[in-house]
Amino acid sequence: MDLATLIEALVKVHIVLGFVLLGVPLIVWMERKVLGHMQDRIGPQRVGPYGLLQTIADGIKLFMKEDILPTQADKVVYFLAPGIAVVTALAAMTVIPFGDTVTLFGRTIPLRITDVNIAILFLLGATSMGVYGIVLGGWASNSKYPLLGGLRSSAQMISYELAQGISLIGVIMITGSLSLSEIGRQQEKLWFIVPQFFAFVIYVICSVAETNRAPFDLAEAETELVAGFHTEFSSMKFALYFLAEYANMMVVSGVAITCFLGAWHGPFLPGPLWFLIKLTCFLFFYIWLRATFPRLRYDQLMAFGWKVLLPASLLNLAATAVVLTVMG
Amino acid sequence: MFELLLFGMLSGIAIGCALGVVFHRNPVHCALLLVGVLISVAGIFILLHAQFVAALQVIVYAGAIMVLFLFVVMLLNIKGETPLLTPGAAKFFGFLFALIVFVELIWTAVQPSPEGQGMPDAAPLPADFGSPAALGRVLYTVWLYPFEITSILLLVAVIGAVVLAKRKFF
Repeated sequence: MDLATLIEALVKVHIVLGFVLLGVPLIVWMERKVLGHMQDRIGPQRVGPYGLLQTIADGIKLFMKEDILPTQADKVVYFLAPGIAVVTALAAMTVIPFGDTVTLFGRTIPLRITDVNIAILFLLGATSMGVYGIVLGGWASNSKYPLLGGLRSSAQMISYELAQGISLIGVIMITGSLSLSEIGRQQEKLWFIVPQFFAFVIYVICSVAETNRAPFDLAEAETELVAGFHTEFSSMKFALYFLAEYANMMVVSGVAITCFLGAWHGPFLPGPLWFLIKLTCFLFFYIWLRATFPRLRYDQLMAFGWKVLLPASLLNLAATAVVLTVMG
Repeated sequence: MFELLLFGMLSGIAIGCALGVVFHRNPVHCALLLVGVLISVAGIFILLHAQFVAALQVIVYAGAIMVLFLFVVMLLNIKGETPLLTPGAAKFFGFLFALIVFVELIWTAVQPSPEGQGMPDAAPLPADFGSPAALGRVLYTVWLYPFEITSILLLVAVIGAVVLAKRKFF
């Protein structure tokens, strides 16, 4: 590994990390603003122009707050859990390609941190490790509502992970590759949402459940569980959970865009810009869902995951296999 | 050199965590340390160019099976453990089995390799070694029967689990 490669890798890591860390306050602002307008309110508007600095102010507030440690909490795990949640979300970001290649100073630089040939599996692995952040947070607080929230989310995430993974296999079968940048490259002519429409629908539903967002936010259902797994977390630990949730939203949106919505391809504008536009639209869709649907009941959620989504994704897989074999 | 350093770190973490699994009192901590063992072993797999196996190790063992373990351990919330054996008997059997494994390991280590003394040099790796495609090809040709038998075994286990869970006890 020569010095230039090292510098290139470091620069890319910092850009992506900075993009996520700066993107999260912007998404939170967008969420509050969009939700506000959808509910016939204005949303934040006092801090900065259009209330843009509101989330920055909230972040500073969270930094300054007292860090409360419950007396009966399991100290080590209580400290570890928010960290696990953030690290897994950021680790998943590393394999998402946000463009093809650019040539700078005579070097061809691929626009992704790393291009492992098992990128999709790496992603699934990172998200499946993300469950620990929530489960452990719920358990370590040593309080009944967080524990229930943590248990709920672990069951939910394991159930929906299956259908999510299987819905991606259709795309893998078409491209014959597990590398996300290869999958992106093959969509120049045709976005995979066309041949894999059902897989796309299944993936989107599962990814909402995976990120614990409304209408699948049973892990933090405030009507029954106070605030769910993060009830006892305050100050920066709470902020870390917040950060992890929004970073995870970016990850699953990024995967959806790369696998189904043509990755960075699009007319006129450069690749990364297209990626950003698609990401924004997808996140808007997320917020729209939250404003539209009421929360599911827990048994409905599990029944839907196991009895509808999983068989549907398996059917889609079988149909894809048949079509690919017939077409040769 | 770099590889050796990584191997040392990973195996050190794995051994440390494994000792923790055995000696820690709190079952949830034990389960977490076991996750640590699994992840560091996955790291060692990557050092051996077996990326696919490493990914499966993390997804299946660390990401799914251990979460279920943790789920059960949390629900049970074991306070005082009821030992299966008396302390004396436990020590005796533990020592016996440890001795057997130790002798076995030493026996394998001192066996002369077919090409004379010491480890043979590593053969050069094929280009697609450890890739999903290469692994799949081997699995569906050379190891087809063991692979299918394993999957039938798993299917039987799944059906058994469903039957047991569905049984009414009242």
